[in-house]
Amino acid sequence: MSQLRRDPITGRWIIVNYEKIIKPNEFSFEKIVKSKDTAKCPFCPGNEKLTPPEIVAHRNAGLPNTPGWTIRVVPNKFPALESKGDLEKRGLGVFDRMNGVGTHEVIIDIPEHARDVADISDEQAEEIIRSYVSRSNDLKKDPRFKYILIFRNYGKSAGASLEHPHSQLIALPIVPKRVNEELHSAQEYFNYKDRCVFCDILIQELGDKERIVAENEHFLCFAPFVSRFPYEMWIMPKKHESNFDNLGKEEVKPLGLILRDSLRKLKKLLNDPPYNYIIHTSPINGHEKDFYHWHMEIMPKLQNVAGFEWGSGFYVNPIPPELAAKNLAE
Amino acid sequence: MPELRKDPILGRWVIIATERLKRPFDYSFAKEKEPPASIAGCPFCEGNEALTSREIYALRKKGTKPNTPGWQVRVVPSVSPFLSEKGDLDRHGKGVYDLMNGIGAHEIVIATPRHDAGPFIRDISQIERFTEVIIKRMREIKKDQRLKYVLLFKNHGTSAGGSTIRHQHFQLIATPVTPKRVKEELVGAKCYFDYKDRCIFCDMIRQELVEKQRVCLRLDGFVAINPYCSRFPFETWILPMKHSCDFDRMSKEEIKNFAKILHLTLGKLARTLGDFPYNMILHTAPFRRRKKKGYWETIEGDYHWHVEIMPRLTQVAGFEWGSGFYINPTTPEDACRYLKEANNVTA
Repeated sequence: MSQLRRDPITGRWIIVNYEKIIKPNEFSFEKIVKSKDTAKCPFCPGNEKLTPPEIVAHRNAGLPNTPGWTIRVVPNKFPALESKGDLEKRGLGVFDRMNGVGTHEVIIDIPEHARDVADISDEQAEEIIRSYVSRSNDLKKDPRFKYILIFRNYGKSAGASLEHPHSQLIALPIVPKRVNEELHSAQEYFNYKDRCVFCDILIQELGDKERIVAENEHFLCFAPFVSRFPYEMWIMPKKHESNFDNLGKEEVKPLGLILRDSLRKLKKLLNDPPYNYIIHTSPINGHEKDFYHWHMEIMPKLQNVAGFEWGSGFYVNPIPPELAAKNLAE
Repeated sequence: MPELRKDPILGRWVIIATERLKRPFDYSFAKEKEPPASIAGCPFCEGNEALTSREIYALRKKGTKPNTPGWQVRVVPSVSPFLSEKGDLDRHGKGVYDLMNGIGAHEIVIATPRHDAGPFIRDISQIERFTEVIIKRMREIKKDQRLKYVLLFKNHGTSAGGSTIRHQHFQLIATPVTPKRVKEELVGAKCYFDYKDRCIFCDMIRQELVEKQRVCLRLDGFVAINPYCSRFPFETWILPMKHSCDFDRMSKEEIKNFAKILHLTLGKLARTLGDFPYNMILHTAPFRRRKKKGYWETIEGDYHWHVEIMPRLTQVAGFEWGSGFYINPTTPEDACRYLKEANNVTA
């Protein structure tokens, strides 16, 4: 018998299919193949001219837009949103529209073309997190922006258009729908119980123990009870905090390490699958301090989302999260 | 300058990425070829009835026996159902989490006895026949009091999550709760109705018929549009012009016209995009169960059934997952122009 589980945050249901459990080596996904020829890769050191001029870079020596960097932030060459201009909100009959004002940055966070987060050193892992925090803190000063979304697409089928590893940052003029939904539900839970739903989840996961993938002093990585995708993982700070920007100095390294280690486990277990990860945080200057809790969601792309998921918002997961955590933790 | 467009029903924003506009031939998707072995052993072909579970229903020639050849449309249980018909819901909690047993139904509607593996069925009368069978099954499933909704959909092509069996088929999945996405749409439509006392879909159709630039087809009481807030390039919706919330209440005449527009619309898309991967989903009103106060009072007036065809030419990635925004690199107006120009594939 399969089981229906309800997400206490979004109210989304998932179906855990116990009838047909897929073994780690039985998933078929597009293998990630990286070409040896990196002469034309715009993100490789030495090819800095192939990107728009950098916004900021971490480098020990050398001039801007030359090699020697460890992290380089550049504007997206084909931005989904443009940083110039006004919103010009207006209606067209039943419809509403506005200009696509925003910022779309690429964070080239690993100089080595062939590597991924799973393969980097402790220092590199720490530096990636530091770059996320500093870009967020810089962009939140622009009064036109309401939300900053940081994410990584790894592998073509997870939406990465370039092979070279990179993260992306998009600053938006409105709070996106999915974020609003999450905030709204977290607020309702708080109104009802006077507690943060994420803190409650954290306490329950630490008690149940059966879904824990990795843990350190500051963070917990677990396979959520209501995982939409096989081998989905969430990384959550143990201390209640609504906004990612407020990450403490002492938390930067532990976050980098648990992220890298979790992705390393995933890579090893499933043989380098494509994935997305996303930082869920509260809006800029929001009022979510008490009831929201920032976290990271890692979503391996092992199967295609199809008509049932699109039409219903239900997700069918062929791996019970308890089993996923057990396989990953080993 | 990219444009942000807001869906008036769901409040979902779509980014029309004017900086990287794409034409039909700019999209690359995996060309799929079915291995010959799977055609020979196709469980959905006439003559291979023994390869499926026992049929639930079939439209068949008089005198032919169940699970033998002689059928035109055949309904069988899914080989890998993730919801089962037996048992009780057994709703319970576990700390902060809620759970229940996976009760429901999962049926496959084999749309034709022939191994017609293209993106659509060329025979209009066959579309009419399977539409009738689908309606019959939906009415039957509705009788099970444990269930609240039945979702009809079709996945074509593996990159749209479709089966490697390319034989034309639809799936019916009935769930014990009203699915979240369905509920969001119902709530959105009801809010508009409460505010304006009109159906939002009827308003949209009226506006589209005046503006014309997003109407790719209009005939016999149906309209096919490329919605103003298309999430996907070449997204196309088919709506009845006459207001109705239930798909399964179509008259015989309406079924005939629906079959015609579905056939022509998929034909235009196939002419423009080739054998494109897509999901097709029916959006219809849920089963009206409880007469709780405020429930379903206005659904007859506020909701409007329709079919959404979503070509899967782009990948959904971190941005879409994290924000619920969609980036569409083809404007709906351009998509509509291409589709209008596409000569119809002959039946």
